Amino acid sequence: MKVKKLLCLLLSAAMLAAAVAGCSGEKPAQDTAANAPEATGGGGSEEPGGNAGSDAQTAGTPLADVRVRQALAYAIDIDAIVETLFDGKAEKAVSFTAPGDWLNTEIPVYEYNPEKAKELLKEANWPADYTLDVVYYYDDQQTVDLMTIIGQYWQEVGVKAQFRKLEGDLASQLWVPPADMVNGPAAVKWDLAYAAVAALSESEFYNRFASTASNNSSVPRQDGLDELIERSNATMDTDEQKAAFKDIQQFVAENVLAMPLYHQVCFIYTSNDLDTAGSVFGNDQFSYEKNILDWTISRDDHTMYTNGGPQEFFWYPMVNPGYMINTELVFDKLINADSSLNPTDGMLAESYTVSEDGLSIEFVLRDGLTWHDGEPLTAEDVKFTLELMLKAPGTNAVASEVMQAITGAADFISGAAGDLAGVTIDGSKVTVSFDKVSANALLVFSQWPVLPKHCLENADPAALQQDAFWQKPIGSGPFMVDEVVLNNYATLKRWDGYYKQGTGNIETIYMFASGENDSNLVVNATAGKIDYAWSKSTDEAKAIEALDFMSVNVANIRYTRCFYINQFPHEANIK
Amino acid sequence: MATYTLRKVLSLIPMMLFISFLIYLGIELMPGDAVDFLIPPDALATMSAEQLNAMRESLGLNDPFLVRYFKWLGGLLQGEFGYSIQSGVPVATLMKNHLPATIELTVTALIFSSIFGVLFGVLSALKKGSLIDQVFSLIGMVGVAVPQFLLGLICINAFALHLNLLPAGGRMASAGQSFVERLPYLVMPALVLGFSLTAGVMRYARSSMLDSMGRDYMKTARAKGIPEWRVNLLHGLRTALTPVVVLIGFRLPMLIGGAVVIEEVFQWPGIGSLFVNAVRSQNTPLVMMIGFFSVLLVLISSIMVDIVTAFLDPRIKLG
Repeated sequence: MKVKKLLCLLLSAAMLAAAVAGCSGEKPAQDTAANAPEATGGGGSEEPGGNAGSDAQTAGTPLADVRVRQALAYAIDIDAIVETLFDGKAEKAVSFTAPGDWLNTEIPVYEYNPEKAKELLKEANWPADYTLDVVYYYDDQQTVDLMTIIGQYWQEVGVKAQFRKLEGDLASQLWVPPADMVNGPAAVKWDLAYAAVAALSESEFYNRFASTASNNSSVPRQDGLDELIERSNATMDTDEQKAAFKDIQQFVAENVLAMPLYHQVCFIYTSNDLDTAGSVFGNDQFSYEKNILDWTISRDDHTMYTNGGPQEFFWYPMVNPGYMINTELVFDKLINADSSLNPTDGMLAESYTVSEDGLSIEFVLRDGLTWHDGEPLTAEDVKFTLELMLKAPGTNAVASEVMQAITGAADFISGAAGDLAGVTIDGSKVTVSFDKVSANALLVFSQWPVLPKHCLENADPAALQQDAFWQKPIGSGPFMVDEVVLNNYATLKRWDGYYKQGTGNIETIYMFASGENDSNLVVNATAGKIDYAWSKSTDEAKAIEALDFMSVNVANIRYTRCFYINQFPHEANIK
Repeated sequence: MATYTLRKVLSLIPMMLFISFLIYLGIELMPGDAVDFLIPPDALATMSAEQLNAMRESLGLNDPFLVRYFKWLGGLLQGEFGYSIQSGVPVATLMKNHLPATIELTVTALIFSSIFGVLFGVLSALKKGSLIDQVFSLIGMVGVAVPQFLLGLICINAFALHLNLLPAGGRMASAGQSFVERLPYLVMPALVLGFSLTAGVMRYARSSMLDSMGRDYMKTARAKGIPEWRVNLLHGLRTALTPVVVLIGFRLPMLIGGAVVIEEVFQWPGIGSLFVNAVRSQNTPLVMMIGFFSVLLVLISSIMVDIVTAFLDPRIKLG
């Protein structure tokens, strides 16, 4: 920790020195990356689009000029930040999309180049008296350090910035789109907003740049972008989706519609007492097949220790379907997913078939399915869950989009229809019909669990989390909730009624109570009371890495930290 | 005495109303509302204003401030404590579930600190200037100066992580455990909390005892030939206890408010951590009830302190 702080201080001091040198007419020190003359990659844009050629002071905001946005990107040395601030435990982002199959490797990359940044700012006639209003909403020290460092980088190229933490109603301060998506003015006040996108699918990264997106508060309608986004959403074919998203990545990067900074990784911690039977770890923010029924634990009582136990309630799965291990293990989904979150074989559904036109999916449920309380799990539960997801607020955007594409969804939501016409039941067969192809349908059915109708049919969908069910939920997964001492611990017990039995020996899962961030993770791990857990904290990963009886596994995930850039005309917020 | 007590109890009513209004207002003035906690910031971008509004409506957050306050007050007067905005669980149930843990911790610490604080303080005063006095004074200074969280972390590091003598946190390993089986979980948090509280009591007791030892009535008692131990215990200690009782009395609200820092450090599932979470998530009904009972206990403690000090010190007359 001390070394990291020291490096950060040295980095800041070096930048300050460089800034002073720049002011005195000396050439600032640059590393090799700094000498990169321009954006690298096949799509590097020497001739910027957007408002290039006009003037940064005449477009209603200097940020409407793509040269300014490019300059801000060129000015930041993300490689150095990743190495110092994150101890190398993050990955520099060149796009929202993380490295892998879905990334277009030809897009422009804005390598650190302060001279290029200055040049672009000069071309754009950057108003030297303008101070960027940069907002963020995280309250951790790492974010504050990051903002400080970035502020120094921008200062080095002559851009002033003030950073402030948002409090209160974040949605209304961050994501309200303007009435006019072409000319604005902006409905938000900030210039840049530091945020994160934890995406289940690629569409979550890019749909928000559409002029029709309900959360696009920063990007005016772009010629051709809406069509590209629509293309990406209109197919269930993975290859076609990849091609469409690569075009979008190109567009976003060329025009710097937003500024991806780094990808956070997921750290999965396992103890030497645990044998995970060769399971491949992946994005633990969501559900995937870990084959936990095959895991073995060397403790005599066959108990595996973890965190994520309920503090005041078990989280309902509409927002985050697999964030907590208890949600993942207590509730089964219709179909399964692999560690890359690709839908695989059936789970509750013995089989599923997508129609040729992609407009319907037929699920055939397994015979003899029951809930943990012994009640039969039927196709009615599936239909009930889909209806509930349509009415419950907070349902994740990707899931919500799929649900709303189901035939009759609009009438069901408005109350014009008593049930969801697009879901038909024939014995153990459930057919879901869509008005249009829903690209993420299989993904959603592999993540969102089926909930028990007999327990939740009287719940108020608008206050679903407040239903007593979430004090001790009943599911159909391989483990059932056993003991619950809220805010202390809860245990899950292996369920004999599950449709398959593994070779492992874990009988009980003991979960320490914790929220999204577990401040006691390191202490409990050090005390030998964590066999399996995950987090995104580099500090926790470092501390646990130092324990010789623990292993730290790293998984790349769709989690990108970025700046959104308000390109709609707006008054300077800092005078 | 009875008239005094009755008058004091009646005066609590307007005071409680005023304080409850101030607490409600304080929560209202905080930016945002409970919905901002229910939906993570990263997910907020994917929710429409209509969806957020529907949530607020169903949770009753769209009513004007005064309407909400009087609804809460009306409910309270009818014995309704309300429901947690986050979980929908009745506030009374939540308090019932969390209070035993807090009472277990704070009562142990209060008893420990009261007994040892008074004992060490009096010994220190009687042996003023001796090695014992200096050692106790040093312990007292350390207890007051070292923050509870730091002491807690040091103890966890030493006794749980290195010596492996005690559990690092929590209150129990399983719900069926008896008090004796749960005792190892209680030892560290209770002792750390008790140590901090002992230091304060000890310093009060010492200075108060020193003060009373120099009084005329002590000299008179000695002049009457009463043995020294009787002089110290019956005449000196009795009056010296008055300020100590005040201090202990005003710690009673911890029984409701909890020991926030200690509960957080030791993962103790008491009402303190519940309260902190409730404030952070703007869970108004829960904050109001915990706050309300804490304030009530402060006021009741104040009356009790008056009565007990009158009993201890014959010079004090109530009325």
